[in-house]
Amino acid sequence: MRKILLFCSCLLLLAMTETAKSNVFPYPYKVETLPNGLKVILVPMNSPGIVAYYTIVRTGSRDEWEPGRSGFAHFFEHMMFRGTKRHPGGVYDSIITSLGAEANAYTTDDYTCYHLTVANNDLERVMDLESDRFQFLQYPEPEFKTESGAVYGEFRKGRTSPFNVLWEKIKETAFDKHTYRHTTIGYEEDIKNMPNMYDYSKSFYQRYYRPENCVIVVVGDMKEESTIAMVKKYYGKWAKGYTEPKIEKEPEQTSERTATVTYDGKTNPILAIGYKNYAFSPTNKQLIARDLLSDLAFGSNSKLYKRLYLQEQKVISFQPSFQMNRDPFMGLVYAMTTEENLKYVQDEILKEVDSFSKNVVDATALQDLKKRIKYSYVMDLDSPKKVAGNLARFVAITGGIEQIEDYFATIESITTQDIMEAAKSLTPEKRTIVILKGSN
Amino acid sequence: MKNKLKITAKALILLLTITIITMPAFAQATAKEIEAKTLLIKETNNPTVSFNIWFNTGSVHDEVGKDGLSSIVGEMISDGATKKHTYDELLNIMYPMATGYECKVDKDMTVIRGRVHKDNLEKFTELLIEAITEPAFTQEDLNRIKKQRLDYLEKTLRYSSDEELAKAVLHNEIHVSTRYGHIPEGSVDGIKSITLKDVEGYYKKYYNRNSFVVGLAGGFNDSLPIKMVNTLNDKLASDQLMVNYVMQMPIEGLEVVIIEKKNSATAMSIGYPISVLRDDPEFVPLSLFNSWFGQHRNQSSHLYNVIREKRGLNYGDYSYIEAFPNGGALSLPDPNSARRQQLFEIWLRPVQHQHSLFTLRAALRELKNVVDNGMTQSDFLKTQAFLSKFCRHYTPTLASRLGYSIDNLFYGVKDNQNYPEYLSKKINKLTLEQVNTSIKNHIQYKNLKIVFVTADAEKLKQDLLNNNPSPITYDNEKSAEILKEDKEISNFPLSVNAERIKIIKVESVFQK
Repeated sequence: MRKILLFCSCLLLLAMTETAKSNVFPYPYKVETLPNGLKVILVPMNSPGIVAYYTIVRTGSRDEWEPGRSGFAHFFEHMMFRGTKRHPGGVYDSIITSLGAEANAYTTDDYTCYHLTVANNDLERVMDLESDRFQFLQYPEPEFKTESGAVYGEFRKGRTSPFNVLWEKIKETAFDKHTYRHTTIGYEEDIKNMPNMYDYSKSFYQRYYRPENCVIVVVGDMKEESTIAMVKKYYGKWAKGYTEPKIEKEPEQTSERTATVTYDGKTNPILAIGYKNYAFSPTNKQLIARDLLSDLAFGSNSKLYKRLYLQEQKVISFQPSFQMNRDPFMGLVYAMTTEENLKYVQDEILKEVDSFSKNVVDATALQDLKKRIKYSYVMDLDSPKKVAGNLARFVAITGGIEQIEDYFATIESITTQDIMEAAKSLTPEKRTIVILKGSN
Repeated sequence: MKNKLKITAKALILLLTITIITMPAFAQATAKEIEAKTLLIKETNNPTVSFNIWFNTGSVHDEVGKDGLSSIVGEMISDGATKKHTYDELLNIMYPMATGYECKVDKDMTVIRGRVHKDNLEKFTELLIEAITEPAFTQEDLNRIKKQRLDYLEKTLRYSSDEELAKAVLHNEIHVSTRYGHIPEGSVDGIKSITLKDVEGYYKKYYNRNSFVVGLAGGFNDSLPIKMVNTLNDKLASDQLMVNYVMQMPIEGLEVVIIEKKNSATAMSIGYPISVLRDDPEFVPLSLFNSWFGQHRNQSSHLYNVIREKRGLNYGDYSYIEAFPNGGALSLPDPNSARRQQLFEIWLRPVQHQHSLFTLRAALRELKNVVDNGMTQSDFLKTQAFLSKFCRHYTPTLASRLGYSIDNLFYGVKDNQNYPEYLSKKINKLTLEQVNTSIKNHIQYKNLKIVFVTADAEKLKQDLLNNNPSPITYDNEKSAEILKEDKEISNFPLSVNAERIKIIKVESVFQK
């Protein structure tokens, strides 16, 4: 049952209700945009004395369009902890420590997120610190080089996972031009070269860490008016200057792609089958129908999952993956199986897509999925950190929270016919199949 | 010896407590009995209910030769059929509710956990009770669960994360020759040997009406705990509770295990058993020390600053006075791993092979420094201010608060169902002297188990045996202070005898 508890597609992190007209997001929220373009979303909720403070930079590994720069958005996330003139690295750290903050950051393909959970009476101190580093970051070259060692260490610790090796190969196989071709951690050779990119790091900061490219989300026990006033005080003078990255559009895929990659260790083979998708839009029915389809066809209550995993026991794990992205990405299904069952499992997945394209899905199954999304959502928003964390990707992709109700309305509107059309659209020429095998 | 006696006494008190509240089958429990067998955190307006059903058993009860049995039984309950429903049917029923239950099996405790929206409370409760009291234990489910577990042990744990591998081996080595000496997931041979008869036998013996506590949190009504206790009392067997005691083997000097594996970086874990549990007066002073020395995934960790921030050798370096399973994936501990025997542990994230001994030396040198000199007043005050506030993050949700309170029931800590507040008050009352006394009493650097996962085991062995210096160079400018310190680190003595170095090929770890 653990798999049920842990299961989450992007949809499950968000919400819908049975009546599309009512508000789905359960908390009132306020949105304000400063003249410099910085957007602020405030979500007051009952969380005595605690607030979550998230700064979402709408830049991730997608924005690494220059050759040899893969992994740089993530590396730069590390540099954001190296201080400013007012708060040099050690001073920043010691203040964060004195606040007892739970503080960290992460980088994804489409955005970078800096987050702190703190006592609400420390909120102003946090804004002072965060606004300072977002406007006046300053670090000496030796510290830049030292941090590159930590990033290389992060790469090394992750490299032992077969899924990371597979992920790199999937992206490389499916994309030719777009920056989704490389992973967020980046290629090893680019990471090795990071110590030599001190000057580039300053340019990266100047281009992307700008108010019109950032959204601040504050959730928890706070007063709206005073919080907005603080944001204006600390971020009001942040200068505009965002420069668009020159990301190449991915040409339309015209034929099926396949690849095999070897993992330097023992593992059962892992099969990944993906289909090129649309850029995320809360109102794109075709996209959202595909998301629902992936769960209906391959999720933990699907017929195929139950047959391959429970009855025939021909897979060790089996799950779909569907993610919101700013540019067209992929929907995928993963199966860990054995060498002798590899072809069988692959054929069964493809047959299932075909079957969904020819047969109307059971209306009850679709309704059950919609209910599941609703309950997952309600249960997953039980702390400021979880609310802010769950909103982060939606905010990063769409630029705000305003379209969230449209998104749930679209989910609610999906019909069994839409699911069938979605399956029909998963044609072989849009497909990428990658198999990872161990060096057993 | 003093500490061992203390642990035994603690376990006896727990046993006595549970024996006292034993009830005959089919009897309706009295209010007092219900109170003794429940832990309730009620929030009427909360739209969900969280469940923590604690059974006082764990991998310490695995039969010899059947390592992993307790964990397989747990999974048969959480991921298997009941007498009324196939597993397929259970998935089907719970799917629209977006719920389910899992069984977390640790060394001394087993907790069945779930969370459900109030709309679905009745149905979920029925299914949860059914899973606990009427498991079907089918051969089909056992085959699937065993197959998955073997894949985890033989492939995932051995190959997919060297740092998790080092930690798992360390835990086994620290408790070697005791019933604590295997990870709850078991061993390859142990799992292969498990039959349905073993599963049924374990279940009957340890999932009994003398061994459970029902933990509930959220928007439930008063009838729910009564119903659950009465039903479990009615349907579970009545075997007497068995508590296994762990007689710890002493560690002499530096005892090294090198797991040889083709890899590009060396992972290291260091540790030794400690007797201080959460109810011990020295637990909070040691918590403060540990927070300063190696707060998990936090830039305030001293080790992190020495090894990562100043030198950039790896991704992070941390320490622990309580087991922290799955630490690579979590920023805060997942409750329900309470134990009768804990360990002090240092986790050094992978470093380039040529830096492994330097990094080990840096960590041991820092450990020696704090043992010999204690914490400074300045570090003490900073850490006190940090930890007294930071600990409020331990329970961000009601479900995690419930988990901590169940653990504290295990330890006999009266936290008034709010562990962060309990802990924060105690931290604020600490003195530097108390902390430094506890460091002297319980932290040491001479008798340690050290586990490496690395590519060239023989070279590492020779470097250790010869106490070869481990000088380091950087490709960037370092301060004179760091370079001076580096010289001391590279010559920090490592006294290891040949008979205390063991090399194990990765393909044989967790085999037996």
